[in-house]
Amino acid sequence: MSESVKRSIWVYHLNTGGCNACDIEVLDALTPWFDAERFGVKLVPSPRQADVLLLTGPVTIEALPKVVNAIEAMPRPRYIVALGSCGVGGGIWHDTYSTIGGVRELLKILEARGVKVDGVYYVPGCPVRPESILYAIALFKGLVEKKVKSEVAYSD
Amino acid sequence: MVRVLKPVELIVVASEKGRVTVKYPYQEPLVTSDFRGAIRIDASKCIGCGACVKACPPNALELLESPERLVIRYFVGRCIFCWRCVDVCPVKAVVGTREFELATDRVEDLFNYTVHRRAECRECGSGFATRRMVEYVTEKSAVSEYYANECPECRKAKILNAVARRRGGV
Repeated sequence: MSESVKRSIWVYHLNTGGCNACDIEVLDALTPWFDAERFGVKLVPSPRQADVLLLTGPVTIEALPKVVNAIEAMPRPRYIVALGSCGVGGGIWHDTYSTIGGVRELLKILEARGVKVDGVYYVPGCPVRPESILYAIALFKGLVEKKVKSEVAYSD
Repeated sequence: MVRVLKPVELIVVASEKGRVTVKYPYQEPLVTSDFRGAIRIDASKCIGCGACVKACPPNALELLESPERLVIRYFVGRCIFCWRCVDVCPVKAVVGTREFELATDRVEDLFNYTVHRRAECRECGSGFATRRMVEYVTEKSAVSEYYANECPECRKAKILNAVARRRGGV
């Protein structure tokens, strides 16, 4: 996968208005039991030090300018990992008035502003399992194969 | 009061206790039998009634309707894994799985489609409901296929005509 991020991934964790369940699972992935630091993952306090933006929550309109600022502050190559149903597709709040509905809408806004993102990873789950996060990290580093694929089934 | 261990004692305790970290990507995950993962729609059983679409809280299941086809689109990325669709499905076509390794770098991978063909109206030839749903209804209840093969518009027009005839005639 990402040839440009061969070393340890430094991660900036950004909650964009979610319910905190995914954030707790992120913490769980960092505990000695699951230990995401095996793969070199480290949470950093500033987007300027980060390779990956770990985005949870459905991106509320209130949080949108801050999210765009944080992504603009990240050095290239920059990656976004959208965690949870809210991050990926807006989740239960995908059509409410106060959210833009997940990372797919955010990418359109970023494209309109000319902010480039080198890759986006989608991690569904409500909330995501810590193992799901570990799987996403392993996929990012090229350790495991991708399992999901789009299926079209005809009834007759 | 808790006694603070010296580093040497800590090494002894740690070596007795052993390693707790799971080797997850290289071993089986810890999912239990109660765990709810992504759903799967069995296209050979599905009749396209849309009960799952109505029950879905975050609209992860959506109906895409056109005159020729009726498509049930399942967006895994928005699913909250509540399995209400599994509960409401009248033909048990929606099956819950324990899949949770759904991470991907292309959002297109998260869309699943179940495509149904429309039933054709005997009178006007336009598409309505789905073929499987008409089969299901005629099998379930004593509705004759004569009525089941008509689209709702034609059925409505026929009843209105019949009523008008009765009022005028008698």
